[in-house]
Amino acid sequence: MSIRKDVLPIDGEVGRRPGGARRVAYPHLIYWFLFAQGGVVAALLVPVHVLIQGILGPLGIVPVVDRHYDTWVAMLGNPIVKLYLLVLIAVPFFHIAHRVRYLLTDFGVKSAKSLPAQIISYGGAVVITLITIWVLLTTVPIKLG
Amino acid sequence: MADKRITIQTTRYDPDKDEKPRLQSYEIPFYDDSMVVLDALNYIKSNVDGSLSYRWSCRMGICGSCGMMVNGTPKLSCSAFLRDYWPRPIVVEPLNNFPVIRDLVIDMDDFMQKLKSIRPWIIRKQEIPLGAGAHYQTNEQIDDFRQFSECINCMLCYAACPVYGLNNEFLGPAAIALARRYNLDSRDQGLKQRLPVIADNEGVWECSFVGECSVVCPKGVDPAKAIQQTKLDTTMRFILPYGNRD
Amino acid sequence: MTTEAQAAAPREHPWRMPANWWTRNRRYFLYVVREFTVVPIAAWLLWMLLEIKRADGGPAHYYPPSSTAFVVFSVIVLLFSLYHSFTFLSLAGVIIHVKVLDRPVPSRLIVLSQFALWAVASVVVGFVLIWFAR
Repeated sequence: MSIRKDVLPIDGEVGRRPGGARRVAYPHLIYWFLFAQGGVVAALLVPVHVLIQGILGPLGIVPVVDRHYDTWVAMLGNPIVKLYLLVLIAVPFFHIAHRVRYLLTDFGVKSAKSLPAQIISYGGAVVITLITIWVLLTTVPIKLG
Repeated sequence: MADKRITIQTTRYDPDKDEKPRLQSYEIPFYDDSMVVLDALNYIKSNVDGSLSYRWSCRMGICGSCGMMVNGTPKLSCSAFLRDYWPRPIVVEPLNNFPVIRDLVIDMDDFMQKLKSIRPWIIRKQEIPLGAGAHYQTNEQIDDFRQFSECINCMLCYAACPVYGLNNEFLGPAAIALARRYNLDSRDQGLKQRLPVIADNEGVWECSFVGECSVVCPKGVDPAKAIQQTKLDTTMRFILPYGNRD
Repeated sequence: MTTEAQAAAPREHPWRMPANWWTRNRRYFLYVVREFTVVPIAAWLLWMLLEIKRADGGPAHYYPPSSTAFVVFSVIVLLFSLYHSFTFLSLAGVIIHVKVLDRPVPSRLIVLSQFALWAVASVVVGFVLIWFAR
């Protein structure tokens, strides 16, 4: 019998989904918020870094701060730079995790919506954040001025 | 001048006889440039094959009954002109993402249930007594929700939405746009009651902003906008502690 | 519906989503491309992390990336990240709704402001990357 059993008759109780009461899905709200923040950071900042550090610098068209050890280290010692790099690298990973999860669902991988998948993807972004913090703290000590 | 003809290939499915739907071809006269797909179907039913089943009513794009896939795009059959497709054949199929009852008729129970679930009526904490007179709204207050009130419940947006196609639990574009219509209505005080429905885990968060719903909407409702704005408003409501609450 | 009614009711043909749904329409395809842009961006950000870590090895071990392969990689990433920025900032205009003096700000203006912000951020960051290389 392929009549949908999970759909209530129209004159049934308004909106009662089989499986229980509805409530605001706060985890999804938080995932979406992080996705939006990460998207803003990635959209505003990534292209210029790729253009300059990835193309114009290696081709020698402009001098870039990471082409020489001393200029790169001088930059990396600055605590504001460290904070900026933390935002630049870590925050977009929440955007990336969210989109990868949804893209997998679009390709039919239903398990991408499951709780373990959520933990792996956003947890993965948290792990990358922690790794980024560790790298920024251990590479080149903080130098003020 | 030779008489113009056009081929319509339409889905046939008789649940008592057929294992699965199949396409059947009909060649009909294209006698008038103003002919639409609905006219073609009516011609077939009246003159060629009376067993063809499909929904229609107003034939002028306002009742929302005649939604079907025309060459793979969800359209109102009364608004799809044959001249835009002729001389190539036109493939007419039932709306995507819904179970098929027969031929071009789909099961819309899920849609009806979802519309009802968001409580599409003015909800008041305190009813205004009749003696108090009319509940006035300025033009600006009506403009706040006017666009989202234009929905004719034609389900083209559900047929266009791949998220709904992959997951029938998703609340869907029209229901969320309708919820926003009421949430933005200055007379309404029911946001808190609707929130657990529109913001649960099969609500707005399922949407990944493909945007096809707004592309196919015949009334310019822009349900994609309604959904994204609902995501933002719901998030801000949660994040900002004292602002933006009823 | 009662079980008798259900038993008497005819069989519906269920919907099954075709696996290639996203190839059937230009907009569906571009949507998947848009979602996919996060993959090259992720790769590049991880490279950036490595680039920072490499400063740890001292001046003798530090060499900036110069290979053709790296430039090709960067060009591909740039194309995807530009598409990401264009789509994300344009769509932000749909989402963000503000009222100034009780009139809604037209979405075109909001999108324009996002792109202006992008331009300013790029100029500032670009300046820093180049100026401190002296």
